[in-house]
Amino acid sequence: MNLPTPTDPTPTDVSKRFTQRSAAEWVTFMVALIILLGLVGLIFFDWQTNQNQPPAFAVTVSEAARVTDGQYYVPFAITNTGGRIARMVQVTAELNTAGADDETGEQQIDFLSGHETKAGSFVFTHDPQGGNLVVRVASYRLP
Amino acid sequence: MATSIDSPIPQTDANIWLSEFQAILQGAVGGFLFGIPLLYTVEVWSIGAATDPRWLLAVLAATLVGVGLLTQVEGFRQTLSLHPLEALLESIEAVAIAVICATLALMLLRRITLATPLAEVLGKVVFETVPFALGVALARSTLQGKRGRSIGTAPHSEPMPERFTNRRTTAPRSRRLASPTLANLGDALVDFDAALIGAVLIAFSIAPTEEVPLLAASLPPLWLLLIMAASLGLSYAVVFASGFTDRAERRQRGLLFSPITETLVAYLVALLASLAMLVLFQQLNPSDPWSEWLSDILVLGLPASIGGAAGRILI
Repeated sequence: MNLPTPTDPTPTDVSKRFTQRSAAEWVTFMVALIILLGLVGLIFFDWQTNQNQPPAFAVTVSEAARVTDGQYYVPFAITNTGGRIARMVQVTAELNTAGADDETGEQQIDFLSGHETKAGSFVFTHDPQGGNLVVRVASYRLP
Repeated sequence: MATSIDSPIPQTDANIWLSEFQAILQGAVGGFLFGIPLLYTVEVWSIGAATDPRWLLAVLAATLVGVGLLTQVEGFRQTLSLHPLEALLESIEAVAIAVICATLALMLLRRITLATPLAEVLGKVVFETVPFALGVALARSTLQGKRGRSIGTAPHSEPMPERFTNRRTTAPRSRRLASPTLANLGDALVDFDAALIGAVLIAFSIAPTEEVPLLAASLPPLWLLLIMAASLGLSYAVVFASGFTDRAERRQRGLLFSPITETLVAYLVALLASLAMLVLFQQLNPSDPWSEWLSDILVLGLPASIGGAAGRILI
């Protein structure tokens, strides 16, 4: 089925047929096909490897806290060790220091894909080395 | 169409590679014009990141069908009459161009980095591919309008009067020939006017959103240089892809500057437009640090410069 081309003024256009695809156009097509097949292949690969693993979290807290203006900055990194994405991941930190009020910090991470790592810091007014610091993931939600 | 106008035979060996490159570039530019607004949308990134692989395949298939339907009547190449099988091949090419453009654009805006997990990369790329692919399929009609229907395959068969009626110019032809510099200057001003309108048209819907500061904040320090380079490159590609780098064509349109000068000045126009829009929407305040001003303006300058380049052609 050829599309009607009533306004086409050029005879070459009308006579242009499938067989007149130039070598350059074939090269484009082959590269395009490889790109698309590669993309589809990657999607299948991801499907096979990741989708059966529910989210799981590993939180690491850096030993070395940075001190600036009397505040202690404790860097942390959270990794989703599962395959599926988790939303609204809530990371809480609790610092129990002897002889002082407990300090808490809270951090919400919007998206954490499988095998993704995100980092941040908790800020305390007391030295975390002198107390008991607990950092844990409190909750998350599936997309 | 740089060589096809001078050469007696439109389809020589060297020519097919150049015209194919130009067709792909034209498709890519069309993709960016259409895809940029959705590229600056947080929701598309997050939807893409959270989507099931099966759904991604369905989206990809739907895109291919949609582009296939569009390619029946449009397309990014110059040819109009297409064998149905050839239309299928061209749709596959269009989607592949869109995949490449979307991936590069996401990498440029740091939505995809080396640390991004594969599932997230795939989701973002597939969802951003949809508007890009539609843009690629509509590239010819977007960028060339009626003019492109006959240029390229057989430029000589086009009657001269039509070439002239499709140009915008401040001066009548007789006057332009009589005093070329004055009229050319006027034409150049019209050109930058058009760039300003195009920049505002594309970037106005992006300026008030939170994506601009969000993207700007996530860029590493020297990354802004890459954004500038991409803005200039895309702006030049728009002009090149529509065949306006040809000297004869430019002389007929009465353009004063070289394409590179024009691209640079149009980029400055786009940056000024971005600045004005960001200030207008109170995205930037005098209390903000200058680095935030700089990065916000440059990040919004990317869509603005693409819009500006397109404006110079379309308006």
